[in-house]
Amino acid sequence: MKSVLKDLYKNRIWLLMVLPGTIWLLLFSYLPMFGQVLAFKKFRIDPDGFFASVINSEWVGFDNFTYLFSTNDAWVITRNTILYNLVFIVLGLVTAVATAVLLNELINKRLSKVYQTSILFPHFISWVIGSYFVFTFLSTEHGLLNMILGWFNADPVSWYNESKYWPFILVIMSIWKGVGYGSIVYLASIVGIDKTYYEAAMIDGASKWKQIKHVTLPMLKPLMIILTIMNIGRIFNSDFGLFYQVPRDSGSLYGVTNVIDTFVYRGLMNLGDIGMSTAAGLYQSAVGFILVMITNYIVRKVDEESALF
Amino acid sequence: MKKKKLGLMLASVLAAGAILSACSKDSSTDGGGADGDKPYEIKWYTIGTPQKDTDKVFEEVNKYTKEKINATVKMTQIDWGDWDQKSQVMINSGESFDIIFTNGTAYVQNAQKGAFLAVDDLLEKEGKALKDVINPDLLEGNKVDGKLYGIPANKEVARQDVYTFNKRLADEYGFDLSKVKTLQDLEPMLKTIKENESGITPMATFKAPLRYDYVVNNEMPFAFPFEGDTDKVINPFDTDDAMQQYKTMRKYYKAGYLKEDAATSKDSWPMDVENWFVRMGGSQPYADLLWSRSAKYEVVSVPSEEPTIINDSVSGSIQAISATSKNPEKAMEFLTLLNTDPYLRNLVDKGIEGTHYKKNDDGTIEDLPARIDGYNMPSYSLGNHFILDLYKDDPKDKWEKFKEFNASAVKAPSLGFKFNSDPVRSELAAITNISQEFYPALATGSVDPEEYLPKFNEKLKEAGLEKVLTEIQKQFDDWKGSQQ
Amino acid sequence: MPKLDQTESTLEIASTKGIKKGKTNFSKKFRDPHALHPAANAVISVLLGILAFSCVFPFIYVIIISFTGEESIVRNGFELIPKEWSIDAYRYLWGMKEALFRSYGVTILVTILGTVISVFMITFYAYAISRPQFKYRRFFTFLAFFTMLFSGGLVPTYIVVTQFLHLKNSIWALILPLAMNAFYIIIMRTFFLKSVSESILESARMDGASEWRIFFQIIFPLSLPGIATIALFSTLGYWNDWFTALLYIDNPNLVPLQALLMKIEANLEFMRKNMDVAILQKSLFDTIPQESAKMAMVVIATLPIAVSYPFFQKYFISGLTIGGVKE
Repeated sequence: MKSVLKDLYKNRIWLLMVLPGTIWLLLFSYLPMFGQVLAFKKFRIDPDGFFASVINSEWVGFDNFTYLFSTNDAWVITRNTILYNLVFIVLGLVTAVATAVLLNELINKRLSKVYQTSILFPHFISWVIGSYFVFTFLSTEHGLLNMILGWFNADPVSWYNESKYWPFILVIMSIWKGVGYGSIVYLASIVGIDKTYYEAAMIDGASKWKQIKHVTLPMLKPLMIILTIMNIGRIFNSDFGLFYQVPRDSGSLYGVTNVIDTFVYRGLMNLGDIGMSTAAGLYQSAVGFILVMITNYIVRKVDEESALF
Repeated sequence: MKKKKLGLMLASVLAAGAILSACSKDSSTDGGGADGDKPYEIKWYTIGTPQKDTDKVFEEVNKYTKEKINATVKMTQIDWGDWDQKSQVMINSGESFDIIFTNGTAYVQNAQKGAFLAVDDLLEKEGKALKDVINPDLLEGNKVDGKLYGIPANKEVARQDVYTFNKRLADEYGFDLSKVKTLQDLEPMLKTIKENESGITPMATFKAPLRYDYVVNNEMPFAFPFEGDTDKVINPFDTDDAMQQYKTMRKYYKAGYLKEDAATSKDSWPMDVENWFVRMGGSQPYADLLWSRSAKYEVVSVPSEEPTIINDSVSGSIQAISATSKNPEKAMEFLTLLNTDPYLRNLVDKGIEGTHYKKNDDGTIEDLPARIDGYNMPSYSLGNHFILDLYKDDPKDKWEKFKEFNASAVKAPSLGFKFNSDPVRSELAAITNISQEFYPALATGSVDPEEYLPKFNEKLKEAGLEKVLTEIQKQFDDWKGSQQ
Repeated sequence: MPKLDQTESTLEIASTKGIKKGKTNFSKKFRDPHALHPAANAVISVLLGILAFSCVFPFIYVIIISFTGEESIVRNGFELIPKEWSIDAYRYLWGMKEALFRSYGVTILVTILGTVISVFMITFYAYAISRPQFKYRRFFTFLAFFTMLFSGGLVPTYIVVTQFLHLKNSIWALILPLAMNAFYIIIMRTFFLKSVSESILESARMDGASEWRIFFQIIFPLSLPGIATIALFSTLGYWNDWFTALLYIDNPNLVPLQALLMKIEANLEFMRKNMDVAILQKSLFDTIPQESAKMAMVVIATLPIAVSYPFFQKYFISGLTIGGVKE
């Protein structure tokens, strides 16, 4: 006991530093977690308030989860979610890092600033508006793409009915929206790289590309790994607006645009069942958590310092 | 090490949970019911954009209610777009309030979850006057598992879908609208318009109706027929008339009578833009008058069905008493007053006489500018229509016509039957996804029904359609039995 | 631009003479020894330019729509070159200027307060867990990270905020729920781990500096890029948030900008789904602005924040950093 107190005293400054954050985490994140238990219950409202409602609701085990697995659609949505996210993680990383590196290398700094501000604009555009924008291109009647096809005497395409193009469309849209925001962390990181590393590399006769490969990228490695691990944790989650608004909820595209989040949203439209929606969230979190733990373990074995914890 | 961490976290969560329950109990039991002489404050949540003059108007309301029932009312409006999500979170979180607006499926689901109080007993006592005033179809039709869980607004009880036409065009081409009874009858007119009017889309996007008594809604494959064996629930999409109707729609779509994006369109086709020829929608007495006025050109409607009373049409506007209400009797007293006392009803609906509207000698009223500016309330959501003052330019017999309309309506086979989806929730979630996938495209003619309708039905079967139909039939038979 | 020409020509000299052969024969005045070859620079400029244009273009499109006549929109949809120009949308916005000014005020207040509180909490937390001396750092890292994956859910959080903390309709309901973010903490921790070497700290400690002094005088200046990143993310997060307002605010005077915009969009969506109600209660829905007004709102809600990015940028452009990279 005494040694515990002694440890606490020794670490008192650090503990003080984490105190505000910890209180917040306990209040806003951990305290509400008790609600996760609803995933296993059939929710009924008790006049004595929410806590009573949760306690008095009937326990139904995994019943609330079955809709996520029971039909053919379940396989489709899981496959879609995972595949899209894998592509997003890889492409997102590559484009964000590449953009940051290139922006940093531009000679004209003012131009670089202008570009940086520009590529951030899509981040501000909600998917509702983003979907209008995509519609301008893909509308069968007035869309720009069909107009261009017309110039080449090709037949117009009914974009919102043809599934095969949509994986590409969605990936492009996702990258487009995210690259500005995603590159910021890397830009900030590059700025902090000690200039002497570059000078040493140049003394060794390294070309620009070699400098990037041997100085910049390795210095960004910890960040890249950490962010990738965190993204893996969200591998069962999706950007709802991207998969719901952009394809305009077109039924013919569901085969390639329905992901777990949209399936849950649509499925519960007529049910309003908080148990089922909680179950979906818990399922996504649990899978992500397990994957992160595995990934983190592997990373830790390879390079202890780069791991999350 | 990890186990210890998890254990520590679990312990702190549980401890915190205990504190939480103590605290939330405290906040929900303070104040108690109306004690002695103090007027009870009724918390009322209803739908609509919050208005500027609400406080002013409710000062007057409270003067009146304090006198009549020793209670004051605190009304908060939640905006249209926020309503679904916000009201549901509030209800689920067990927030303490007295009265809340509700309608349709939300009403049924919340009632089944225990969010609302059954008002049958209250109706016998504090609400006795309501039984005289409210259409019995509304009271019966809104029962869930044999009990009533809210006070419906007395207005039109039936649905009647109509085909509405641009009168100028109809006259110009000499169409005989009285001949229109079905979707197929529209064809020659659509052809003419398409050939001659390039700025007009013949059909303002709508989904081809199938005349059935739907259990959940008209996109889901569970319904009772209006003819033949009306006690057997079937999949309305697996019928000959579905195929026929959708084939017609497909013909129209291919001929260009509909806009190409019909299946995914979010166009609202506002009446006041004259770019359509025919549209479909729900009607009520004197709707054409209202529509023509707002469109600023004349429209004329032809019924596509006779007025039918269905579960949906009686539950368009209900004020429910929350299970968390601390004084449901007072809440009921207020609702009774609201629905029977013309002074209160008009005050809540239109605002203060002289400020928001003025009264004419013949008893009709006219809006003053302050009303649209500061107190524009959604009348349909607030209560009994038939005690509302009429506007100067309203037809004198408006409410009579409503009552006639209601009396002439046909009752749907499943009126009053509320399906409890608990046993088949999984299947329903899957089926909803499938219906979202196929229904909009089929019903707007965007895809070939010969190919897609069978696909639709096949997929529904795979997702457990039979199981759901069996469950519905079982619950229906039980309900029917208890009705005898 | 004479300066650029000079740099280019000196670079050419450098590239042919010095860099490839490893000679370090630079004149510091004109030449940045780290610079890119001008040809490569041009190619990259063009590529990035295309990307940048494609990102800004939709926004320009939004601006065009906001100047399009409403009837033209109904008849023809959104067009790049509208058949009918109109400033009706902005006139409409001017008509609701009190509500807009209030919203702006709320948003700005919430954003500033929120960002300050957020950066404060996150920076200290992240710093502590980045220090090897902190015995419990693994625990607190896990504590934060776990919340990234698992959350309480909508209703339980709602209950904590409204019933437990009684924050409904208070400005703190807009600030506090967003104040901490495990994602930012982990990023910040990475910055701290990287940008500071223990040896510097050790020597400072041996000189008798307290941990607080070390933080403020050594760590803080070194990690400005990271802190600026978190500050920027926080600012963007607060500015764009509308969901907390939807949940916790009933009072129309406390509605932030994006929430106002979302409300309008949601109201329109309601109208579409409930056409029967909408048509019969038309006067109610006349007050909902049409598409062009919606776009105008997007313009005025987005421009200020987009324009504020340059203030953060100086921390992200090398050569323009405040504070040295090494002492």
